Amino acid sequence: MISQFFVLSQRGDNIVFRDYRGEVQKGSAEIFFRKVKFWKDDGEEEAPPVFNVDGVNYFHVKVVGLLFVATTRVNVSPSLVLELLQRIARVIKDYLGVLNEDSLRKNFVLVYELLDEVIDFGYVQTTSTEVLKSYVFNEPIVVDAARLQPLSPAAIFMQGTKRMPGTAVTKSVVANEPGGRKREEIFVDIIEKISVTFSSSGYILTSEIDGTIQMKSYLTGNPEIRLALNDDLLIGKGGRSIYDYRSSTGSGAVVLDDCNFHESVRLDSFDVDRTLSLVPPDGEFPVMNYRMTQEFKPPFRINTLVEEAGALKAEVIIKISAEFSASITANTIVVEMPLPKYTTRVSFGLEPGAVGQRTDFKEANRRLEWGLKKIVGGSEHTLRAKLTFSQESHGNITKEVGPVNMTFTIPMYNASKLQVKYLQIAKKSSTYNPYRWVRYVTQANSYVARI
Amino acid sequence: MAPPAQAHRSPSPSQPSGKGEVSDLKSQLRQLAGSRAPGIDDSKRELFKKVISYMTIGIDVSAVFGEMVMCSATSDIVLKKMCYLYVGNYAKVNPDLALLTINFLQRDCKDEDPMIRGLALRSLCSLRVANLVEYLVGPLGLGLKDNNSYVRTVAVIGVLKLYHISAPTCIDADFPPTLKHLMLNDPDPQVVANCLSALQEIWSLEASTSEEASREREALISKPVIYYLLNRIKEFSEWAQCLVLELVAKYVPLDSNEIFDIMNLLEDRLQHANGAVVLSTIKVFLHLTLSMTDVHQQVYERIKAPLLTLVSSGSPEQSYAVLSHLHILVMRAPFIFASDYKHFYCQYNEPSYVKKLKLEMLTAVANESNTYEIVTELCEYAANVDIPIARESIRAVGKIALQQYDVNAIVDRLLQFLEMEKDYVTAEALVLVKDLLRKYPQWSHDCIAVVGSISSQNVQEPKAKAALIWMLGEYSQDMQDAPYILESLTENWEEEPSAEVRLHLLTAVMKCFFKRPPETQKVLGAALAAGLADFHQDVHDRALFYHRLLQYNVSVAERVVNPPKQAVSVFADTQSSEIKDRIFDEFNSLSVVYQKVTTMSKIGFHH
Repeated sequence: MISQFFVLSQRGDNIVFRDYRGEVQKGSAEIFFRKVKFWKDDGEEEAPPVFNVDGVNYFHVKVVGLLFVATTRVNVSPSLVLELLQRIARVIKDYLGVLNEDSLRKNFVLVYELLDEVIDFGYVQTTSTEVLKSYVFNEPIVVDAARLQPLSPAAIFMQGTKRMPGTAVTKSVVANEPGGRKREEIFVDIIEKISVTFSSSGYILTSEIDGTIQMKSYLTGNPEIRLALNDDLLIGKGGRSIYDYRSSTGSGAVVLDDCNFHESVRLDSFDVDRTLSLVPPDGEFPVMNYRMTQEFKPPFRINTLVEEAGALKAEVIIKISAEFSASITANTIVVEMPLPKYTTRVSFGLEPGAVGQRTDFKEANRRLEWGLKKIVGGSEHTLRAKLTFSQESHGNITKEVGPVNMTFTIPMYNASKLQVKYLQIAKKSSTYNPYRWVRYVTQANSYVARI
Repeated sequence: MAPPAQAHRSPSPSQPSGKGEVSDLKSQLRQLAGSRAPGIDDSKRELFKKVISYMTIGIDVSAVFGEMVMCSATSDIVLKKMCYLYVGNYAKVNPDLALLTINFLQRDCKDEDPMIRGLALRSLCSLRVANLVEYLVGPLGLGLKDNNSYVRTVAVIGVLKLYHISAPTCIDADFPPTLKHLMLNDPDPQVVANCLSALQEIWSLEASTSEEASREREALISKPVIYYLLNRIKEFSEWAQCLVLELVAKYVPLDSNEIFDIMNLLEDRLQHANGAVVLSTIKVFLHLTLSMTDVHQQVYERIKAPLLTLVSSGSPEQSYAVLSHLHILVMRAPFIFASDYKHFYCQYNEPSYVKKLKLEMLTAVANESNTYEIVTELCEYAANVDIPIARESIRAVGKIALQQYDVNAIVDRLLQFLEMEKDYVTAEALVLVKDLLRKYPQWSHDCIAVVGSISSQNVQEPKAKAALIWMLGEYSQDMQDAPYILESLTENWEEEPSAEVRLHLLTAVMKCFFKRPPETQKVLGAALAAGLADFHQDVHDRALFYHRLLQYNVSVAERVVNPPKQAVSVFADTQSSEIKDRIFDEFNSLSVVYQKVTTMSKIGFHH
C-alpha cells in the first residue's frame, strides 16, 4: 500500500503528483529530491532505491532520466512497490508511445486518469494496459519520436537496421496512425545482455547471459499466439549448481540455468515441444526472462598491453577483435580504461585510415575513452596511447591501470543461440496476415578485461 | 495533489506566479458555465486542463471551486473526470464548498453508465470531509450491491475510505460484515482482493478496542478462508496474488500434508516474472517449513535459481530489492550458497549499494573450497578506481581471513596490499594485519617484515596509524627501528590531531620500553611529558596512570602493559543472530532492505 505517487524531472519539478491517502506531509517531493541530490555528500555514490526520512519510506526508480517515486509509512514489500513503479512507467509509455518529460507534460491529464484507475486509496487495482483501455478516455497527444532519445530496449533496433518501420517501437497502443487505420503487427524481440570478465591472460573468468523475450502486440481481437523455441532447449532444475551443466555443452544444445514467464504465458506443451502459447495483452511486456551461464563464444576479444616507456612515460595498446560473422555489424562501441591518477597527458594513435572513431582522455576521472561507430564482424582495431605522468610510478604500472571495460550493441546477433523458431498467430480469416517482426540484439552489460 | 506549500517557492520563469492567472480562469469558467453552444465541451476541456496543470505545479486554484462545479454539468466523461480530480484535491481544505459537489456526485452515482457510477462514488468517498459522511452511506450501500464489478471494486475501497473519515459511521452501517460476505462470494477477483485489503486494515485498527474485531482478524487466517483464496489464486492479478500470499504466510497448517499441498499448489508462482510474487511465495515456503529442517533446506535449494534470475533481469532498482532478500538468505545459510559464489562477483557498472551487498555475500559464503578464488577476485576490486568499494573489498579479505582456518594464501595477499603503495589500500591493510596478528600471532614474523618497511609518514588515517603504532609496540623486539620510529612520532606529538593515535602511541612506547629499555628510555620520558600536558582528558589520564604505575612498581607496570597474551579466537559480530532471525520473520518487507527489525528501529512503522 502506498501513500503518494509522483514523477519528478531531473531538476526536481513535479510533473505529476497524486496523493492517495493524505498520510504523508505535502512537502515530501521536495524532501525526497533534496535527499537524493545530496546523497553524494554523505560519501555514498548514489541514493539507494529505498530509504527512510522521518518515518516516511521513499521508493524510486529512474526511467529515462525521470524519477518515479512512491511514499508510504507502512512496512510494505519493497519489491512490490519498485515493480509497481516500473510497471506504471510502462503503462504510461504504452499509452503515450514515447515516454519522456515532454510527452508526460503534454499528457498529464491522461496520466492522472491512468493513475486513478491503477491505484485506489494506495492499493493497486490493475496495471494491465488492456484492462485500463476501457476506463481511460483521454486521447494521447503524441509527441514526435524522431527527434527524441530512444527509450525502450526495442528502440535500439532503430539504430542499426533499416528493415524496421521507425514508428513501430514508439507507437501508442490507443492512438490511431496518421492514416486512420491501425496496422496489424506484432514485435518479438530477443534481447540479450552479456557479462564477461576476462583474466589478464585472456581466459574467461565468468560469463553470463541475461535474456528477455519482449513482445509488443498491435493485433486487434487478441488472437492466440504460439511461440516455438529451440526444441533442444534445456532448463536447469532448481537448486543444482550451474556448473553441473557444463558437461552438456558438447551437444550444441542451449542450456538455460533458469527462466521465468509473464502471467499470460501457458506452458501446457512447453515440456513436450518447447512452445509457449499466450494471448498477448496490449502493450509491451516480457514473455520470458532467462539466465544462462553455459559457456558461449564472446563476440569480442580484448588484448591490452601496458608498458613503461622511460621515466615518466608509458604506452598502452588495446586491440579489439570482432569474432563474429562478417555479415553482422556491431555499433556504438565504447572502450574505456582507468589510467594512473598522476597521468597528465595522453596522445592517441589510431590505425591509418580509421573512420568513425574518436578518442578522449577524461581528465576529471583519469579515463581513456575510445569510441567506434561500428565494427564489422571479423575485423580488428587497435588503439595506441602514449601516457605522460607527473610523477614516477612506483613498482608495477599494471596495478595502476584498468580494467578495460567495453560497451556495445550488436543487432541481429544473439550469443545464447536461443531462437524463436516460429511465431504462429491464430487465423481469423484466410486474408488475415499481420506483420510479424522477430528481432535479435545483444548488448554488453559488463564486459571487462583485466590487465 | 501538488503541495500547496510549493506555491510559496519563487516561481521559475516558465511557471506563472498564480494570482492573475487564477482570476482569469475564474472569469473564463463563468462564461462557459451557462453556455450551451456547440463545441463548448472542447473549450471547457482546455480550461480544465489549465486548472489541473496549475494545481500540479503547486498554484492554489481552490478559488475557482464554485465555477468548476457549475461547469461540471456535462455528459462529457473526460470533463467529468477532470472535475472529480479537482474536487478531490480541494474538498478537504474547503469543506463548505465540498457540500456544493455532493448533489451532482450523488446524482452521478445513479447514472446508467457504470463507469460514471463508479467514478462518482470514488470521488464522493475521496472528499475526506467528516461532516459529509452521512451522504456516503446510501451510495456506498448501493455500490456494494451494484451488478457491475467495477462499481463494486470502487465501493469496497470506498468503505475503507469512509472508515478512515469516520470509523463509527462505517461500523454502524454494518459495512465490515458486508465486505466479509463479498470477499467470500463475489465472482470478481478484484472485488475479493479489495475486500481483503479493507478488512485487514479495518479489523487491525478495531482490534485494540473490540474483541470481535480481533476474532474476525484471526478468522482471516483460518483454514476455510485461506483455502478459498488459494483455490482462486490464479484468477487474481499479480498484485492481489501478493496480498493473498502475505496472508497465507501467516497461516499455520495442521500437518505436513497440508504444508505439501500448499507448496505444490504454489510451486509455479516461483516462475513468475514479477519479483514481488516470487518473494511472497518464498516467504510462504520458508514459513511453512520452518520446523522441518530437511524440507526447509530443500526450499533454499529450490528458490536459489528463481532469485538469481530476478536479480539479473529487471531494472537495477528491482534487482536491488531482490538481492537484499538473497543477502539475508545467504547470511542465514551461507553453506547452501557456497557453490554460487560467482553470482556475487561485482560487475563493472553496478551501483555501489549493490556492490556492497555482494561483498558481504562473498565474505559469508567463503569456505575451504572457494576461498582462493573469492580472495583473488576481491584483490582485483582492491585495485579498483572506485575507492569506497576498494576499501570494502580489502575489509572483506580481512574478514574472510579471520573466519578461515587456513590463512596462508590470504596473508600473502594482504601483505601484497601493503606493497601496492596506494595510501587507502595501505591504510585498510594495516588495520587488517593488526586484527590478523591478534588472532594468528604465528604470522607475526612474515607480517612484521613487511610492516617494518612502511614509512609512517605515508600513513595518515587515524585507524591505520593507530594499527601501525600498535604493531610497533607489540613487536618492538622484532622490528629493528621500532624505538626510533616511535621517537620521531613522539617528536611530532603536537601535530598529531587524533587522540586515538596519541593514546596508542603512549601504550606502544611503554611496551617498547620494557622490551628495549636503553633505546626507549628517552622517548618514554618525552611521551609521558607530552601526554601529561595533553588537552585530551583520556590521553592525559592514561599518561598520568602510566607515570604513577612506573613510580609505584616497575615490574607491576610491565605486567600491566605486556601481559602474556592469548590469541583472540572470535571477534564480536556487529549484528547478533537473534536480530538476523527477526529480520527473517519480516521477509519481503522493508526490514530486510534496511537490515533492521520493526521493534528496534526508530523508523516507527505502523501496521
